[in-house]
Amino acid sequence: MLKDVTFGQYYPCESFVHKMDPRTKILLVIAYITFIFLVKNFIGFAVVALFLAIAVIFSHVPIKSVIRSVKGVLFIVVLAALLNVFFYGGADAEVLSIGGVKLKWWIFSITRQGLVNAAFMTVRIVLLVLGTCILTLTTTPMDLTEAIEKLLYPLNLIKIPVHYFALIMSIALRFIPNLMEETDRIVNAQKSRGADFESGNLFSRVKSLVPILLPLLVSAFRRAEELGDAMDSRCYSGAKGRTKFKKLKFSYRDPIAAVVALAVLAGVILANIYFPHII
Amino acid sequence: MRIVSQGLTYTYNKSTPFESKALKNITLTVEEGEFFGIIGHTGSGKSTFIQHLNGLIPVSEGSLYVGETNMKFYGKKEYAALSDQNAPYAEGKKLSYRKYKKAYKADMKKLRSRVGVVFQYPEYQLFGETVFDDVAFGVKNFFPESTPQEVEKRVKEAVLRVGLNYDEVKDKSPFDLSGGQKRRVALAGVIVTEPQILVLDEPVAGLDPQGKKELLALLHTLHKNVIKTIIIVSHDMDDVAENCTKVAVFSKGELIAVAPPRELFKDGEKLKEVGLDVPLTARLASALAETGTVIDTDFTAEDFISRVIEKYKNRVKRT
Repeated sequence: MLKDVTFGQYYPCESFVHKMDPRTKILLVIAYITFIFLVKNFIGFAVVALFLAIAVIFSHVPIKSVIRSVKGVLFIVVLAALLNVFFYGGADAEVLSIGGVKLKWWIFSITRQGLVNAAFMTVRIVLLVLGTCILTLTTTPMDLTEAIEKLLYPLNLIKIPVHYFALIMSIALRFIPNLMEETDRIVNAQKSRGADFESGNLFSRVKSLVPILLPLLVSAFRRAEELGDAMDSRCYSGAKGRTKFKKLKFSYRDPIAAVVALAVLAGVILANIYFPHII
Repeated sequence: MRIVSQGLTYTYNKSTPFESKALKNITLTVEEGEFFGIIGHTGSGKSTFIQHLNGLIPVSEGSLYVGETNMKFYGKKEYAALSDQNAPYAEGKKLSYRKYKKAYKADMKKLRSRVGVVFQYPEYQLFGETVFDDVAFGVKNFFPESTPQEVEKRVKEAVLRVGLNYDEVKDKSPFDLSGGQKRRVALAGVIVTEPQILVLDEPVAGLDPQGKKELLALLHTLHKNVIKTIIIVSHDMDDVAENCTKVAVFSKGELIAVAPPRELFKDGEKLKEVGLDVPLTARLASALAETGTVIDTDFTAEDFISRVIEKYKNRVKRT
């Protein structure tokens, strides 16, 4: 039951994008997100989408897995689109009409600008999600935290313990599968004792979660204590003097990716200048 | 209640790239009154099998009857193909699929009060504020109409049956007890509904030798007095040889053998083929057999020792 949640999960294979340095990938995703918000018209989106398509092709991740990641945010996409369709309130709003009947009822009205905006928002959110999913699909969680630690390294200068944040993150990620397994087991055990999580009103449903959450919490603390002891017994003492088993290395791939990103940036800016209208 | 499975098959992640068969064509009968053992490595399908026994995993392929209850669950298409007569829970007329699903669920819930399952490390499933609350959980779920007096009576009985002092522990937090006591409380929480079949997944895992001995003795007492059928899942051959009346061997989702320990361990080759060991007594017996001393034993330590002594006495007399 819990296995469906893991969209955007690492897809193991050997590809250009997989082999890129995770730091580059994170920076590229940040750049990509910025591009999306810079874009002012659909032509700009086409440029960004082209970039995304190139990334997907060079990542060797099946297109199906990429598309599936949108499912998780489908609700938000639909909601944003609907709000835009019905509630466009600009001064230039021109209410559409079908066969002479104005599409306006109470506080709802369908306007031309509303429809355009809805399409614009939908494309924007979908592109955002797809882009970030390429990152998580092609980068292991361990590499990600490692890269974040490296990228945030300057914060150490103002006495922010970046290493510990990275450690916390990687431990949290590491224990997700264990916790899911544990949850499954506890759910089965309580079901065997007649627990029912699916009927009753909201209040009784929330209450029925106590027999799951409490043992889960207890076991999480137990695990944490054990892990702490294990780390202590191997003389873990924080970031100081610590060397890395797997060192991140830039390769020829990273400058290539940077050049492509710059080209996309140029494309987006040109699109904004030469096509001032949204369509 | 008998357990009869025929051609029981289960596939995880069906029709996805991650498809894997956890059970393949399991045909097995567990008679009422047995102290049944299921052995196999991790991934052999034994856990999947026991989750079928109380409907945690609905039967999709093959059939499984637990007592009178048919555990088969029909998918939407399968159900649509059934005739009015063959459809379950139908009295003359087939139910809508939604109603059928609801009826199936209710049926499974009813069954769960009669088939208790104790999972691995059950002490990690305790959550009650007091031992009493925790043990009473099952009673309140299965018999919501029972009065506080009835609940108390059942809880008291269950706690006493697992060998704990009721007055001493009932108001304690289960988290303040020792590991062995916690496990007993968890066991009490399952037997409180007086199930006829009790299934235990690795019941003695992580216990010290003394605790292990006590818990197994406790299971035998329960078997003798209140619970008709006990099924234990284990990978420890000695435990199985020592305690079970019949043993099923699982390997890679298949049922390799079903036999009383006396027959099963006589020929250790079959077990070795699937990477399982034989009990210590069986190893000793085969080593003795190589030197020409055949010992006819049921492979419990006590029986084995007395037979060896007997043999040895005879020898002394002969020479």
